[in-house]
This record gives sequence, structure tokens and C-alpha cells, in this order.
Amino acid sequence: MTNNTQTQSKPSASQRWQKLAAIGSNQSTILVAVLVILVVVFTILEPKFLSAQTASNVLTDWGSVVLIAVGMTYVIISGGIDLSVGASIALSGVVAAWFMVNVLGLSPKATGGEVVYGLVLGTIVAILTGLAVGLVNGFLITKAKIPPFIATLATMGAGLGFAVIISSGMPIGGPNDFTVISAMNPSTNPLSWAVLAVIVVIVIAGLFLHKAKFGIYTYAIGSNTFAARGAGINVERHLVAIYALSGALAGLTGMYVYMRLGAGSPSSGTGRELDAIAAVVIGGASLMGGIGRVWGTVLGTLILFTVQSGLIMAGVAPDWKKVVVAILIAVAVAAQTFNKKGR
Amino acid sequence: MKVSKKALALVGVASAITLLAGCASTGTATTSADKPITIAFVMGAESDPFFQAMKVGAEEEAAAEGVTLIWQGDPAKYSAETQIPIVDAVLAQQPDGLVLIPTDPVALQPSVAKAIAAGIKVANVDTHVNDLSDVSIFITGDNADGGSKAADAIATQIGYKDGSKYQVVVGLTSATATTNVARLDGFKAQVAAKYPGIEVVDVAYSESNPETAATNVNNWLTKYPELSGIFAIDGTNASGAAAALESKGLTGKVALVGYDAYPDNVAKIKSGIFTALIAQDPAAEARLAIKALVDLIKNGTKPAESSVVIPNVTLTSKTSDADFAKYTYVASK
Repeated sequence: MTNNTQTQSKPSASQRWQKLAAIGSNQSTILVAVLVILVVVFTILEPKFLSAQTASNVLTDWGSVVLIAVGMTYVIISGGIDLSVGASIALSGVVAAWFMVNVLGLSPKATGGEVVYGLVLGTIVAILTGLAVGLVNGFLITKAKIPPFIATLATMGAGLGFAVIISSGMPIGGPNDFTVISAMNPSTNPLSWAVLAVIVVIVIAGLFLHKAKFGIYTYAIGSNTFAARGAGINVERHLVAIYALSGALAGLTGMYVYMRLGAGSPSSGTGRELDAIAAVVIGGASLMGGIGRVWGTVLGTLILFTVQSGLIMAGVAPDWKKVVVAILIAVAVAAQTFNKKGR
Repeated sequence: MKVSKKALALVGVASAITLLAGCASTGTATTSADKPITIAFVMGAESDPFFQAMKVGAEEEAAAEGVTLIWQGDPAKYSAETQIPIVDAVLAQQPDGLVLIPTDPVALQPSVAKAIAAGIKVANVDTHVNDLSDVSIFITGDNADGGSKAADAIATQIGYKDGSKYQVVVGLTSATATTNVARLDGFKAQVAAKYPGIEVVDVAYSESNPETAATNVNNWLTKYPELSGIFAIDGTNASGAAAALESKGLTGKVALVGYDAYPDNVAKIKSGIFTALIAQDPAAEARLAIKALVDLIKNGTKPAESSVVIPNVTLTSKTSDADFAKYTYVASK
């Protein structure tokens, strides 16, 4: 990213800079460097920041956004946007809680094996709920020809509305035996089983994007829809699949959030779509489509929550979080522009 | 399923009424005693149980007074930028009165001026705009008193002794909600007056998301291993803080005083997760606001007091079942 400006201002050092630029222009290297710098700065400000407990805090938060961010990566690479994922988190969490309480008859007092069985079925219900929202998005975008921004804005509103209607606006307390679900927050081992499950899903999603035909089609559509169609790709069907995937991942996240709170809360997804978009953009994807990587998104999300935890730990006024994230996004987008000019 | 169908029907009916009200009021702008009165009620965030409980009171009173109620607000986001366009849309329907819960004391001031200019009577409930001179009546729970009661509850739970030091944190929703500010001020004033050994070491915002509230508490527990107590200033913070303590196995080890009697949280008083919950009576606030506006519009009777404060109550494990039933927020049907 520094390639252009630096070679122009310091032509004498151009060779050294070119060498550095080769490493520096790699998006992942930049992101890892940013992450390391953040950790160092926050540790200086508050030594307790460098601890297993902080790692656990950050990873737990990371888990509740990274899945929708990965879904958003697919959507953004295809040239679209999905604003409904935050609402889908709330809706699927509420529907799953409602299902566990009213259909399975599990109260918050349920314990042990009963809880596990409830959570498994609840997870399926949550994924199906998110999937349904995603399919509606796909239908609105491909059949009704509504631009993704408007289509998903509509389902976002409807999703939140339904979440409030089903829950009467109150958190639905479902089975929440924390001896079962508190593996979410271990104080010694930062990698809880829930976070491990999230990582497994990300790896699969990453392989699909970067190694499978599904991913190649996604890039092709985002780079040039006409050419993709000319190459024989069923663009409409593929877009429906992408939004369905984004929705299903939001549904799974809804269950993850349920397990953090022990309740399905209609306000639990508030603002998460913006966190996801920020993470994807920081991770190096282009909102114009055709560019983006799952690994970048994974790091982008990690940076977001490192900033969030770090600012709280350092005792910085909470309003600064928004400013810091805004700067990160601006820098990320500027870096992309520089990279393109350099080519 | 039954509930959701009913609610769906209600939404449908409400939007139909809203449309009708809009049509009806475009004809003539005159207000007479026999013309049905329309009251618009713009609250903070539909997904907040506090406003759901308020809706129950508003609907009851509107039915009792025979007035048409336009109930509006953002589905989930408690913010001025989403509320201002909603107020504008509601004012375009030319209601006779507007009950407004301003999400920001400054940003919503022009909306109040706009309503007054259109001849619409305005009441504020829960929070208020900075300049109340045009507002007919302002009704709120006694938030400062609630904050002070929270300080008492925490001090009791931690077994406060003069000379000892205690660290306490406060989870807020936003920096500008006047209820948050009043509760925090009441809390701090009581701490300064009676419990000098307690230090409020940090505050953070949940931005109406219970998960963010849990995140804040997780980070505080890392930073302050000796943390004595948490004051969760509203229902969202209470839900998040309770989940964070439970998942870390710290139930009862850190004193937790929350606000707002969500059924899910009330159940957690009995299981020892909450030391206490400070409860308000949102339905009563809404009833009073609508009654005051109707009296003013129909008969020109000005409210006896321009500012009414409804006391908060402390719910603990010792509270009677009757009081639990009275103060627990009920869902609108």
C-alpha cells in the first residue's frame, strides 16, 4: 500500500521499498501486523489485556459475528450486500427459544441431557429460520429484481418485526443450564467448544469459496455478471444459494448468541450487519464485487473485537470504538485503491 | 403461535387504523369535542420490553377514553436518527396529541417544536427534551431515586463496611438517554453520601444489544478481578450482565442489581443471580400521559402538575408474590 507514495517521495530508496512492498501489499500480512500492533498498544495501556481470559473474551465475541461476516464475504464478492443478517440473528434466536419452550416443553430449569437434546433441535430450527430469510432475499433479488440493498433492508425490517411479535419484545428464557453452555466462556482455555465449532464451519466455508466450483462462480458473477452468464453459469440460482448460505450462517449465529445469553432476545442482533460489513471491508474485500477472502474477513473480525475489548480494558470512553473502527475502514479501503493503482 | 397470530392481526388492524386516521384528518383540521381524538405515541424501540409494557397501558387507556392510538417507533434501535423520521411521519397524520419518548434530549427538540407549530399537544414520557416549556406534561419513573435504591441494594449485598474499598461498574445503554443519566447520577449521589468506600471504576454502553452488555461485563471481570458489584442500568444490560456472570460461574459472588422487571430477569432473582431488580411502572406512565392529553384536548384542562414522578420499587428475593405479579412487565396481547 505504501509502494506508490513512498517510491515517488523517496526515489533513492526505491529498491528497499519495492522489497518491503512485496510483503506489505499482501493483505493478510498487513492485517496480522495491525492485530499485533493493537495487542502491543493495549497491553502497554493495560497489562492485564495480555491474558488467556482476554483471548477468551475476544474469541467469544468474534464467534458471534465471524459467521455472518463469512456469509457476507460471499455476498459482497458476488457484488451484493445482505443487511438482514442482524435481524436474522434476533429472529432465529427467538424462534429457537420459542420452539424449545413451547414445542419441546423445556423450561429454563431443564438440566443435563435434556438441555443438550433441546439445543441440538433448537440449532436446526435456528438454521432453518435463517435459511428461510436468506431464500426470501434470494427470491426478491433474482425473481422480483429488487436491488440487494433494498431487498435485504426490507427483510431486515420484517425479521425484526417478527422477532418482536413472537417474543412480545421480551427475551424468551429457554433452557439455559449454564453448566452445559458455560463452555462458551472458559477462563483457562480460550478455545471453547462453541468457538471450535465456529472455526470448523469457517474452514468449510473457506474451502468452498477458494477451492470449489461454487467459489469460482461467486467470483465470476461479482467480477462480470454478463461474462459469467455467457460462460454458462446459472447466475440466478447461484445468487439464491449465496443469500441462502448467508441466511443459514446468520441462523447458526442466532443459536450461538442464544447460548451466550441463555435466552432468545429480539434485540440481540442489533447493529451486527454493520459489524459484519466492516469486518469484510477491513479484511480487504471490495464492495464493487469480485474481490475478497475468507481469511481476510476472519482477521478483520478479530481486529474489530480486539479493538472493542482493548478499549474497554484500557478504560477509554466507549464512544471511541466507533471512531477507531471508522479509521480502520477508511485505511482498509484506501489501501485497496493504492493496490489497484499500483497494478 | 396463538400469541403471534393475535399480534399479527393487531399489527394489521393498527396499520389500517393509522391509514384511516390519516385519511380522516386530511379533510378538516378543526378539533371539536365530538370528533374522535387521535393520540400518536412514539416510543424508543419496539423490541424493548419496557415499551411493550408501556403499550399495554397505552392501549388500555386509549380504549377507555375512546381515542384512536397511533403506536410507532423503531423496531429495535433506540436512536435519534431513526426516531426523527418516525415522528415526522406521525405528525403528517395530524394527530391531536403526541406522546413522545425522546431518544435524545437535544435532537428531538425540533420535532417537539414542529408538533406545537401544527397545533398538536405534546407530552413526554420516561425521557424528556431539554426545553420542556412547550411540553404539556412530563411523566417519568423516579430514576434518580431508582439509582439511589440500586446503590443501597449493592451495599447491602456486599456487606458494606466503612474503611473497606469496593469496586463497582455501571452498564449503560447510551451516553445521552436521560433516564440512564438520572439513574447514574442518583446512584453516584447515594454512593458519595452513604458509601464512600465504593468506587465506580468504569462505565460502558450496550447500544441496546444484550450481547454487547455481556461483552462489557466479561472485559470488566478480566480487568477488575476483585469486582464487588455491577449496576446494570436497564433491562438489556441486566440480561447481558446476568448471562455473563452465570457463564463464568460467578452467581452470587458479584452483586448484580438490574433495572426493569422482564419476566426472564424476575425469575433470576429467585435463583440468586440478581441481588435486586429496580422496577418501574411503564403502563401507569402511559395511562397517565394519554389521560392528561385527552383532558387537555377535550376540555382544555391543564394538568395539575407539569411534571409527574412515579416512584420505583426494589424487587428482591424477599418481595411478596403479589408484588412480583404487580411489577413484572406483561406482554401486550
